[in-house]
Amino acid sequence: MSRRPKIARVRRVLIANRGEIAVRVIRTLRERGITSVAVFSEPDREALHVLLADEAYPIGPGPARESYLNPERVLETARRVKADAVHPGYGFFAENAAFAHTCAEAGLLFIGPPADVIARLGDKLAAREIARRAEVPLIPASPGPLAGVDEAGKAARAIGFPVMLKAAAGGGGKGMRIVSTEAELAAAWELARGEARAAFDDDRIYVERFIERPRHVEAQILADAKGHVAFLGERECSVQRRHQKLLEETPCPAFDPATRSAFADAACRIAKTAGYVGVGTVEFLLDADGHFYFLEVNTRLQVEHPVTEMVTGLDLVAEQIRVAEGDALWFGGDPPPPRGCAIEARILAEDPANHFLPSAGRIDRLRLPQGPGVRNDSGVTQGFQVPVFYDSLLSKLIVWGPDREIARRRLLRALDETVLEGVHHNLVFHRWLAAHPAFASARLSTRFLEEHFTAAALEPSPEAAEVALIAAALHARHERAAVALPAENRGRSPWRWAERGRGPGARR
Amino acid sequence: MKLWVAREGHDTEVEFEARGDRLWLTIEGRRLEADCRRLWDGEVYSVLIEGRSHEVRVSSPGGRLEVTLDGATIPVEVRHPLEKLLQATGPAARASGRETVVAPMPGLVVALRVRPGDVVAAGQPVVVVEAMKMQNELATRGGGVVTDVLVEERTPVSAGQALVRIAQAGS
Repeated sequence: MSRRPKIARVRRVLIANRGEIAVRVIRTLRERGITSVAVFSEPDREALHVLLADEAYPIGPGPARESYLNPERVLETARRVKADAVHPGYGFFAENAAFAHTCAEAGLLFIGPPADVIARLGDKLAAREIARRAEVPLIPASPGPLAGVDEAGKAARAIGFPVMLKAAAGGGGKGMRIVSTEAELAAAWELARGEARAAFDDDRIYVERFIERPRHVEAQILADAKGHVAFLGERECSVQRRHQKLLEETPCPAFDPATRSAFADAACRIAKTAGYVGVGTVEFLLDADGHFYFLEVNTRLQVEHPVTEMVTGLDLVAEQIRVAEGDALWFGGDPPPPRGCAIEARILAEDPANHFLPSAGRIDRLRLPQGPGVRNDSGVTQGFQVPVFYDSLLSKLIVWGPDREIARRRLLRALDETVLEGVHHNLVFHRWLAAHPAFASARLSTRFLEEHFTAAALEPSPEAAEVALIAAALHARHERAAVALPAENRGRSPWRWAERGRGPGARR
Repeated sequence: MKLWVAREGHDTEVEFEARGDRLWLTIEGRRLEADCRRLWDGEVYSVLIEGRSHEVRVSSPGGRLEVTLDGATIPVEVRHPLEKLLQATGPAARASGRETVVAPMPGLVVALRVRPGDVVAAGQPVVVVEAMKMQNELATRGGGVVTDVLVEERTPVSAGQALVRIAQAGS
């Protein structure tokens, strides 16, 4: 475990990221009087993070490997512009131990855990070993990577089918295969290995028991360099599609105080055993009987961190900076108690009606919801051309309510208020989800979509279809009137407003 | 005034009845009061149907109508000759300094409103073509001097057929 000397306050932070998370980090930096330094690829020249940062520098063409994921370009820029720290956001370099190490060598403070901690927790088998030492429940699994399909079969029989084949280097659902019976094993073995090799350049596979209808619940932790670890509440992220989270909430509706307390202890023991410093997330599966099992540690700020911020009032980016500067937890052993319930919906540029395929293009119209208990963490503006090169997250809609039902209704209200046009998006999906009786009564599992979602869920209601017909007819009538009576077109002149403003009835 | 609208192949008739500032429409046997305002950002309308408020966008990518409301995009067809007319007499015609008013769909010329040599203002009707049970006043987009009237009253015309040619003023 590495100990860092207390360092001077950071003054210039380079954000090695883009989109909503770059914007999120810039906001905290500006509030704290720290100079925010953005980097951008060619198609991101007009992106919101460039507009909001104090400084912004180009780092290359659109493809991530040639810009945001090019360590030489990013670090060379950081040195040239005299940044003293790098915030990685999530994705890109956020869990890249080699990058964190190179930052340290170059005298740049990496705002995240120490490189050796990232490396240890990034390896799933090493992380399981840490959890075992911390006496945290683990999903029954093979003791290590398997040499071949025969050994996998032996391990699977010992654990009991159904099992899951998993990549040791895995993440994001890649290199994972469910195997229900022994007959499926050989084919799944090859698929999992191929995926793992392609995604991580590492084809070590292990096998663990498949839990049938689990909930995904994770612990937000914050640790300082002095060995103090705080539990900042849990998040339930069960609504997923192919292991990608779509909606997250806190608190977990399935937790009782005793479960939460045991869960918090388990997460903190793992963080202490790993020598964790910074904000991090310990992920667990919760089975139908209320038992939780360690899954993995994400050594970064999570996409869904705002729900924790909404109920605790904390700024997790500010906390990251404080502990990276060497400060102890300012609240000691007594973190702010959570209040109410928060839900986050990920607004993605993808088409739910067409296999959720990602969608690029210009955002023709954007009007984000406002009002009580609503927060938008958006990375885009009206007129922005969504590039094809990056992930599809456009914006996060986060709502807060004194209880879950009020938060859920607020989510529906805010979704109804949102106008987003020009790219395909999943607003209609979220509306379906938030209105679904199983969601309303918090009957959740990671199989929620498989059990409830059909494309018919996205069909317009009979009322909406009729309104569409009437609107089209009104439009056609309007167009006809505009040609027959061009004088009406004058209403579109911008001067009309100006003239009206100067008219006798106008008041200043 | 009547229009035919269709969604997923199902045709519905919409009949409009305007009285003063108020507008009623009849759709599938129901008579509804409607109010429609085009909003500042172009393709977007505020539509009040019996007081129920809807914000809709009507766009025509590639000539096909799409209505977006509540985040969903619904393709709709309107059987109305005007869209094609606008395309035929649009920017290309204006760029040449000459405008040709064409029949947007097969129909019957029921009235000629101009003769060669007439000076017409932008938007002034020049010919009336009856098609799909509707009498459509076809207007000049840019105005100018009528150079040719290519059809006679009571003659059938085909889609795209040139009806009146106009030389634009100042060209």
